[in-house]
Amino acid sequence: MRDTSRPLPFAKGARAVFELSLEGMVWTRRTLLMGLLVGFPVLAAAGYRVWLAARPAVPLPPAADLYAVAVAIYWIRNVLPLAALFFATALVADEVEGRTLTYLLTRPLTRPSIFAGKFAAYLVTTLSLALPSTVATFFVLLSARGWDAVGPAVGDLFRDLGVIALALVAYGAFFALLGVLLKRPVIPGLLFLYGWELLANLPGYLPRFTLTAWLRSLVHHRPAEEGLAGLFQQVLPAGPGLVVLVTVSALFLAAAAWIFSSREYVLEQ
Amino acid sequence: MSAEAKGAAPPLAFSRASRWYGPVIALNDVTVSIPPGVTGLLGPNGAGKSTFLKLAAGQLQPSQGEVSLLGRPAWGSPEVFHRVGLCPETDAFWEQLTGLQFLTTLLRFTGYDEAECRHRAENALHQVELLDAKDRKVGGYSKGMRQRVKLAQAIAHEPEVLLLDEPVSGMDPVNRRRVIDLVRNLGREGRTVVVSSHILYEVEAMTKRVMLVHNGRILAEGDVREIRDLLDEHPHTVALRARDPRRLAAAIVGWPNVISVNFGAEGEWLTVETARPDEFYGALHSAALGSGVVEMYSPDENLESVFKYLVAR
Amino acid sequence: MPIYDQGYRRYEGRSPLHQIRFWPITREALRLILAKRAFLFLLAPPLGVFLFYVGRAYVVTRFPEVGRVLPSDGRMFGEFLNIQVFFTIVLSIFGASGLIANDLRTGAILVYLSRPLTRRDYVAGKLLVPLSLNLAVTLVPGLLLYVVCLALAPEQFAKWELWWIVPAVVAHSLAASLVVSLVVLAISSLSRSARVAGLGFAGLYFGLEMVRAILQNGFNRREAALLSLQADLQALGVALFGVVDRQLDIFWGWPLLVLVAVALGCLAVLRSRVRAVEIVT
Repeated sequence: MRDTSRPLPFAKGARAVFELSLEGMVWTRRTLLMGLLVGFPVLAAAGYRVWLAARPAVPLPPAADLYAVAVAIYWIRNVLPLAALFFATALVADEVEGRTLTYLLTRPLTRPSIFAGKFAAYLVTTLSLALPSTVATFFVLLSARGWDAVGPAVGDLFRDLGVIALALVAYGAFFALLGVLLKRPVIPGLLFLYGWELLANLPGYLPRFTLTAWLRSLVHHRPAEEGLAGLFQQVLPAGPGLVVLVTVSALFLAAAAWIFSSREYVLEQ
Repeated sequence: MSAEAKGAAPPLAFSRASRWYGPVIALNDVTVSIPPGVTGLLGPNGAGKSTFLKLAAGQLQPSQGEVSLLGRPAWGSPEVFHRVGLCPETDAFWEQLTGLQFLTTLLRFTGYDEAECRHRAENALHQVELLDAKDRKVGGYSKGMRQRVKLAQAIAHEPEVLLLDEPVSGMDPVNRRRVIDLVRNLGREGRTVVVSSHILYEVEAMTKRVMLVHNGRILAEGDVREIRDLLDEHPHTVALRARDPRRLAAAIVGWPNVISVNFGAEGEWLTVETARPDEFYGALHSAALGSGVVEMYSPDENLESVFKYLVAR
Repeated sequence: MPIYDQGYRRYEGRSPLHQIRFWPITREALRLILAKRAFLFLLAPPLGVFLFYVGRAYVVTRFPEVGRVLPSDGRMFGEFLNIQVFFTIVLSIFGASGLIANDLRTGAILVYLSRPLTRRDYVAGKLLVPLSLNLAVTLVPGLLLYVVCLALAPEQFAKWELWWIVPAVVAHSLAASLVVSLVVLAISSLSRSARVAGLGFAGLYFGLEMVRAILQNGFNRREAALLSLQADLQALGVALFGVVDRQLDIFWGWPLLVLVAVALGCLAVLRSRVRAVEIVT
């Protein structure tokens, strides 16, 4: 029996929005593009194995080092933040541009539940691209010199999966906030990723104001880097890193939900 | 007994509501109560109709005053949408969904279970005669079909209040007739239906109760005829067709309530302007008998004329 | 006395088509972009880089020892243009990602093609928009830098051996601007949202650059540079200006071939996407 004196319960409303949004996210060109980018290390890992098998005498970097580069630099530092920028800035903007937001706002759904459903869909979409790629890359690379090397490293794999998920949550929350705040979030988002986040490579207290530095603190891999990162890279403590990331993610999400709830949307005719 | 008579809050009420966008005032100090039944919201483009509907649908907050929907503030009360349906003007859908999926998805947002969603969706599609196309993607629908599926999503959950923004836009005459009949039926069922349009004859076909909007203000509200009767400064026009129009003209030209008499281009017609239509009609009987009056109508007892008069004031 | 019919008379004159009939498309799009204040902020960094290089040329004339560390010959122009390539990406995302996407979304493409314009005219008009913006931060400051260097240090730059600088600046600027413009336009035609097109372009650009970095650093394969649009454009600069860059030390023919293939691919995409009618199945 429906209670028509209240809006739909938060979880029920969010779930309904989640199912609709997921359908709109999964089989699209941009998801395919992101899937190719996120999945590239799997191809590189396969190429590595083929190369190793064909020319065993040619010295290649150790597989574990390549895996470390894939996790710490390729995914966490570059591709996943890009994926978050791609999807999370569009949570509400897609509905506004498509002029379908009216249908959601004229249903008995609270705005925070709409936002939560959309963010959940973003998270599921990106995690379903990133996590299988990580697992596949891990096994393909680390089994290169035999399966004995794989077992001891499985703990690292689980840790990496957790950090990757946290990276998607943290960056997603920030870009979701940017998406509801700004009409054109792309350039500011890129400036944040390739400008502000570079502060993580500087000495002193400044890295604490970046997401990259805290994510780096949670990952065990420390691949050698060139330039500023190689010179000044400092590793922050992991425990506080987890707390900071979870807290700022929650704050960003709460702020984004609040802004979405209080904003009026006048859609173009 | 109507809800108002019982002392219940009107389904939709504006109380000194204004809304501006920057320096432009879109709706200016509006106070109205919309009762159950069909009410036409009329006005030219840019009059403030869309703003009125957006305020009613809780998509905008009034800059001043209050807007209440089923007794609750329209803005920030998502629970009212269990009982309110909106058919927006914009032609926008989740194009990858079929007609049935589109409706069931939106019904899920209203809290129905799967079976109920499907049942209601099919029922609504049947009402707008789209059941045959329910499994086709909305992206492949024609303009008229898209308009009908938009209407279907507004009525599927049987709301008490319906806000329809240009509901027959883009429809062919046959479907337009069907939708007009549907709207009239919804009004007869006691629902509160607000139909916004700038096409006067379409609204005339749906209802006699109108609200005329111009430059952000309500010009007039109520039955078309009542509004017309109140426009004393505009003489009423009566068109008469008679076998002997000159004899008729001779008979009536001396009456004190007759302002002017004109002969029509085709000979049999006579157009009379009168300041006191009731007196005129009362006295017309005997003159009509002698001149063989076969047809009579009042060209300015329609919405367009009323609107023109009101705007020109 | 005859009374002439004042009704409508059909025009029977010949109205020749303008040669540059796509120009109004370009003009209006540029006018809209230049009216945005944010665009002026985006022009500041490339201007800053230009001023830096002007300053550098001046410093080298005053302190010739500096010239041993910072080359002040033709290579300087190559370095300068390789930096400016990055700004062409940013300007293209800002100014050009919605050029075709917005027309597809609003149906305006039908309006364009119902005028005496061919699809070629439409694409040419749209292409000139990012091309103009990109040339404004590559060719114009590149040539201006050469003129300034000639004025500041004629003994260093006014040499017959350096005759190739101007043609190299023109060639590199045109190649970089044209390829970037074609890519952003092609991506814009693949979407109905300017935002998605801009992000797609950024994702492709930065993503391929990361792929290149992984392959070059991880596998020591210099050919991996061919995968990245930025690296291909910079490799062209390396070849034209003699800049030293270990990571881009590949035969110039390959990046040129890749860029030509990318350009042709983009034209093929534009040819298939720029249509008045879209069939929905």
